[in-house]
Amino acid sequence: MLVATVAFLILPVVYTFAGSFATRMTGVVPQGFVTLENWRVVLGLADTIGSQRSMGWTTLFELPLGGRALGVQVPAELAFSVALALGGVAINLVVGVPIAYAVARYDFPGKEWVDAFSVLPLVPGVVLGVAFLRAYPNLSATSFGLIVGYSLLKAPFMVMAVRSEFESMDLRRLEESARSLGASWPRTFLTVVVPQARSGILAGAIICWTLAAAEFNFSYIVYAKGTQPLALFLQRHISNSAFPQAAAAVSLFFCIVVAVTVALQRLGNRGFDAIGGD
Amino acid sequence: MSVAGRLVDSVTAPDWLLTPVTERDRERRRILALCLPFAVLAVVAGAYPLAEVARISVSTETYESVGFTLAAYETLFTDPYYRGVAVNTLWFAAGTTVTAVGLAVPLAHALEKYDLPASDLLVTLVSFPISLPGIVAAFMVLVLVGNSGLVTSVVAAFSTAGPLDVAFGTTTRGLFLAYLYSMIPRATLILRGAYAEVDDCPEEAAQSLGATPFQTFRYVTLPAIRPAITGALVLTFRTALAIFGTLLVIQSLVVWTLQISRELGPGYNLRVAGAMAVAYFVFAFAFTALALRYTEAEVGL
Repeated sequence: MLVATVAFLILPVVYTFAGSFATRMTGVVPQGFVTLENWRVVLGLADTIGSQRSMGWTTLFELPLGGRALGVQVPAELAFSVALALGGVAINLVVGVPIAYAVARYDFPGKEWVDAFSVLPLVPGVVLGVAFLRAYPNLSATSFGLIVGYSLLKAPFMVMAVRSEFESMDLRRLEESARSLGASWPRTFLTVVVPQARSGILAGAIICWTLAAAEFNFSYIVYAKGTQPLALFLQRHISNSAFPQAAAAVSLFFCIVVAVTVALQRLGNRGFDAIGGD
Repeated sequence: MSVAGRLVDSVTAPDWLLTPVTERDRERRRILALCLPFAVLAVVAGAYPLAEVARISVSTETYESVGFTLAAYETLFTDPYYRGVAVNTLWFAAGTTVTAVGLAVPLAHALEKYDLPASDLLVTLVSFPISLPGIVAAFMVLVLVGNSGLVTSVVAAFSTAGPLDVAFGTTTRGLFLAYLYSMIPRATLILRGAYAEVDDCPEEAAQSLGATPFQTFRYVTLPAIRPAITGALVLTFRTALAIFGTLLVIQSLVVWTLQISRELGPGYNLRVAGAMAVAYFVFAFAFTALALRYTEAEVGL
């Protein structure tokens, strides 16, 4: 039972990763190992007939090198998604850390409601996407619209990660010690309490970043034109490309997830939290 | 703080807010300040867009919020097509939820109760799919049982049937597997948390009194984790309702989320899409509120 379920979950991941280095994937065993061609196509490094399917490259910044400017090139869609998701995380930090502290530290009327609302993902991506189209017709397809949408959709994960960290600390004593030494309350919060919770905050930021970078439902509804977020790049390959190329595109995403998982385990976090739909 | 300041100025703020005297007043002000950023985001990105989408769903025009008509809702409730979509959504979500939680109970049991070799690795492997978007979950199922999938090829090689007779990745059964791919890891994670908190002593007592492992599970362990199972059912069902990307890859069944995106395609029926979004939101909200109110679900989420 256990073995079958784990195989069901992991076998396709391994097979996809292996297949991304094959030239053909018909029959039981993929053929034509080992080639990096699929990865080159997916990353936009090789000329292809359907070149619009591959990742474009853009100049991130230019290094002045011996009188000539050397452009540092990055894959456009990857960089775009990284930036969008970072924007979402920035908003999540500003809204998530304070409310997590309020719930963990203070008692106040309506606390259960604040608690429930801050950790329940009430609006799924599709519904929020439709709502954004209507409410912000000029903003919804812009980077700013995507960032704001991501931050609302992923806020619960930040609040949960930070709140559990706060709850493991003796906040009252910490706060009172700092206050008795003469620190003002805002100073206490910003320079004493928040730094103490940094591992929870970092874990929340990493989780929010990954989930925002992979957010498909919202992006699909509000996205208009221009550079596509990473999730749409994946969908484009899954729907249109030959199997080995789609495998390479998906494997690229696996690599990101593995890197993030390793980073989370370094922080001593048990991994992704369980809620949140896709 | 400038926006907040103006907000505070525009309404007549109570005295404790502007000139706090007691420590209690100051504390109330701090709580407000701590909750304010989240409230602003929730209103700007959540409440206001949802209100606008509710408004357009009762509008008489497609692009402007004017007039009042319930035509879009009438369509949803009377058109047999939309009723069919609603029925599809509910039975499919319920079926996949029960299956996913049914598989997650023994999985969580094995992971938490037994000293499995490399159990940390197993936990990581089982949790891995949680961070994969729905489109990738669909792709994983195609990798297994699609037209040139792994299982398809193996079965076809050992039987007389061709790969196309064996493959079922793009059918409703394939979609069922793709849902499970997203849901089993989430359900397992919730249940693992509950198992970790179960006290081992009653189980050991039952075993030493001669109960079989199954009897121990049925009469000792199960009652202890029942609230967690309810919680897992609630959250997994909500996940199932929200699945969308998977359906774009395997379009074998039209459910609510897929239909919403179709309304926005050719024809651009924003009013019906809005009405569907409102219906979804109301249903999900009511379901969660009822589940948390009337079950012993220990989710606190």
